[in-house]
Amino acid sequence: MAFIRLFAPALAVLIATILLVSVSLATVIAEKKWDPFAGSFQTMLFMADLKPVPWEKIRIAFEEPLSAAEIPVSGKERLEGLVPGNGEALSAAISAAIASEDRQALYEAASRALAASLTASLDRAAEALSDPASAQLELLNAQQLYRAVDPFVRQSDPDNARAIGRAWLTLTTTTGSSGVFGIGSQEADTERYLDAGRTILTYMHENYSPVRFTERVSLAPAPEGALPKLAENPIRPWFPPGTDIADQDPLPLLVLNFEEKGIDEADLPLVAYGDMLFDSPEIFGEPARTLGITCSTCHNRSDINNRFFIPGVSHRPGGADVDGGFFNAIFNDFQDDALDTPSLRGIRLTAPYGRDGRIASLREFTRNVIVSEFGGNEPTPFMLDALIAYMNEFDFLPNSKIDRFGELTDRSDASVVRGETLFNTPFDGMAGKSCASCHVPATNFTDNRRYDIGSVKGNYDGSRGGQFDTPTLINVKYTAPYFHDGSLPTLGSVVDWFNDTYALDLNESQRADLTAYVETIGGADEPYEVFDGKATPFALAFAELTTFATTLEALIPARDKFHANLMLDTVITDLRQDISAMANRDRIDQVIELADGLSAVQSAINKDGWVTASSEWLAFKTKKTAYEEAMY
Amino acid sequence: MKRRNIIRSAVLAFTAAALLVAQPLTAAEPSITMAFVPQENPDKLLGDIEQITAYLSKETGVPVKGFVTSDHAAAVEALRNGDADISFMGALPSVIAKHRIGAEPILLEVYRGKPTYRGRVFVRRDSAIETLADLKGKTIAFADPISESGYLFPLKTFVDEGLLEKGADPKGFFGEVYFAGGYQQAIQAMANGLVDAAGVSQYADLLLTPDQQAEIRWIAESEQIPSHTVIARKGLDDDLKTRFIAAMMKLNEPDYRVYLKYVYGPDGYVVADNSAFTNLEALARDYGFID
Repeated sequence: MAFIRLFAPALAVLIATILLVSVSLATVIAEKKWDPFAGSFQTMLFMADLKPVPWEKIRIAFEEPLSAAEIPVSGKERLEGLVPGNGEALSAAISAAIASEDRQALYEAASRALAASLTASLDRAAEALSDPASAQLELLNAQQLYRAVDPFVRQSDPDNARAIGRAWLTLTTTTGSSGVFGIGSQEADTERYLDAGRTILTYMHENYSPVRFTERVSLAPAPEGALPKLAENPIRPWFPPGTDIADQDPLPLLVLNFEEKGIDEADLPLVAYGDMLFDSPEIFGEPARTLGITCSTCHNRSDINNRFFIPGVSHRPGGADVDGGFFNAIFNDFQDDALDTPSLRGIRLTAPYGRDGRIASLREFTRNVIVSEFGGNEPTPFMLDALIAYMNEFDFLPNSKIDRFGELTDRSDASVVRGETLFNTPFDGMAGKSCASCHVPATNFTDNRRYDIGSVKGNYDGSRGGQFDTPTLINVKYTAPYFHDGSLPTLGSVVDWFNDTYALDLNESQRADLTAYVETIGGADEPYEVFDGKATPFALAFAELTTFATTLEALIPARDKFHANLMLDTVITDLRQDISAMANRDRIDQVIELADGLSAVQSAINKDGWVTASSEWLAFKTKKTAYEEAMY
Repeated sequence: MKRRNIIRSAVLAFTAAALLVAQPLTAAEPSITMAFVPQENPDKLLGDIEQITAYLSKETGVPVKGFVTSDHAAAVEALRNGDADISFMGALPSVIAKHRIGAEPILLEVYRGKPTYRGRVFVRRDSAIETLADLKGKTIAFADPISESGYLFPLKTFVDEGLLEKGADPKGFFGEVYFAGGYQQAIQAMANGLVDAAGVSQYADLLLTPDQQAEIRWIAESEQIPSHTVIARKGLDDDLKTRFIAAMMKLNEPDYRVYLKYVYGPDGYVVADNSAFTNLEALARDYGFID
């Protein structure tokens, strides 16, 4: 009954090849942990599609445990354990491909290893059929391995994907059940089990361990047989295991200037449209658009997102290489220079823009983000106007411990007061400058200039590439890690860095005082959004999305089809997705009904039925009012 | 066969580790041995056991050790013969253990504020299926043949509607019945269009992607089911039981919630109340699981 025997001829040609796989979806739900080998497989293939290929990171993804793995075992070790007898040869082939920096060899070795490990796993399940519980556990392992290619098969070979999906159902059904004390037990159906297993393994071997592989352009593990028709069913952009694009927790508090004055965003259509664009993947190109990346993905509520991480693209959580090859190939600078995401609080006061302050205008910088960094189409003047109108409302978090000149309002903490003195003390090591020389308290603790403080070396001797913009210290307590690349984890480590680099000769107590001062002037009265009772993440999202929709009050009279469609594409998609965050699951149907209501508006607009669009919009507002109270 | 070897050696490894800890104590010293039933990767479970038993040892003041069983039946057997004092267990095996061997459910898991939940029958929104009767001749995926919310209770909704005879083979009604191996696999199979319906826990839709969640709905809901339990063997010393319950209830406190992820990840625990099992005991009788 063993699959190894059934597939011995196919395995004989494998000789010494290995593969690991991983896959993910453009969703913001917690990622299920990965089988170490499956996770390693996908991570390696994802990274091998980056330019330049980060071979050292690929080696690490194979030889060291992934954070996304469900057990702390490397893909290599897992593979060797999964395929007794041949695992080491399979693993050696992957290592050889990495060492020789050969992408095609990596793909082939990894694919063959996946097919072999899946074969071994299904074989073990077959051998355990007399003990259904053991067989079921082994089948779970096998499914976790198949997960490495499942989304790619479903996208590029849907008919076979369905056949394989049914085969998995047959496998789990035909292993039988021990029941409890024998009651409810079901016999295994060995014949059907083996038939279903053959369906899966035949497919795996034909498509992931063929006699000869086709030369691959992309290493996304689309099945071999689907390659000729890949143009019809192209592989969508995908994230590797361990990607985290969920919002930061706790969520930063957003302070909008107009809201503090009690003005309703729905009365400010330009600002509301800008707010929508800030949350819209539609303004970006691929892969960001399909992956659901927006301005707010990295800048949660105008601030940062300290958990944002894409393996191979981010160097550490909270940052990314936005001019690498992942987001926009044409903007790839071929330099490994990932940045820590800066906060956008008070952005109208913190020009110039970019960590290196290379662009003076926020409007120009915003266009650069949309078009150059994320490959989007040229934004319309209206879109840029809206985004700037919205971002100009971003205020710093109020901090009652400093006044409008940046002076301490509370001088009761002696350590903080001593720190203030140090902050303003000129140091010989800094050519007679003090911290306050650049972080000027009266101008938001910045001088809006650029300096080379020695935090990074330029690309050549005499380069001025080490210059970066002086960052504001307002609210800096909440934006760890620090420096342009996030290389320093705490404010204390920043103080230590200056002390060491510039020979300030501060003792431990003085460094603690200086840190306490920076934490005080960089603090806030309320840094985070508070969710309580009906104030839920869903309620916040629902209020935002329905506010975005109010821009129809301006767009319908203006007969502005393009901007109405962009907004509706964003809002309808988000509204449907946000039901996953609803606490009140019994009201899901009403949210979907509201999303359908907006679809009706969009459908009318696209037929130039502006009167119908108006009446559908009115119907939406009526329903929204009726449903809203019970929705949270 | 190999898998069982792995599990067996894991048991030995943990027993050995526990013995090392317990070495200074005499045989008469009290201790607690816990049986864990694997839901997924047993290797991950071993790491979880290490964390939670260390916590429980510290909190209860007695050595706590854990081992992995192959399934619920083995856990019940371990409670019966004294190899285990306490086990984490689904509600149905727990009821059976209570009736067969006098074991005592002592804690219930809490999800979304409740120690109970329901089974539901989910379909795709774009299907023409509106009622359970529409599923005649169609395909359905359940989680597992002895799962309460993933089989028995959703199936009972068909019995309650008069579509199935009590205890009858459901294959007489459906075109095909699958057991997908878990909630997620069952509801994914439905969402992906492999089957027409899924009979699973009311929370199973949360295991789908946000896009998929908007594409499905439920058409029937079962009566309340007790959530998973923690069960103690008959005759376990009252003092040990009290200490254990106190330590577990502490997991509801903010500082200790981190440990919940090592015990299958509930939101918390409540002390078990016998009335929570009434519906389940009636169903277990119908299916002949208990007398």
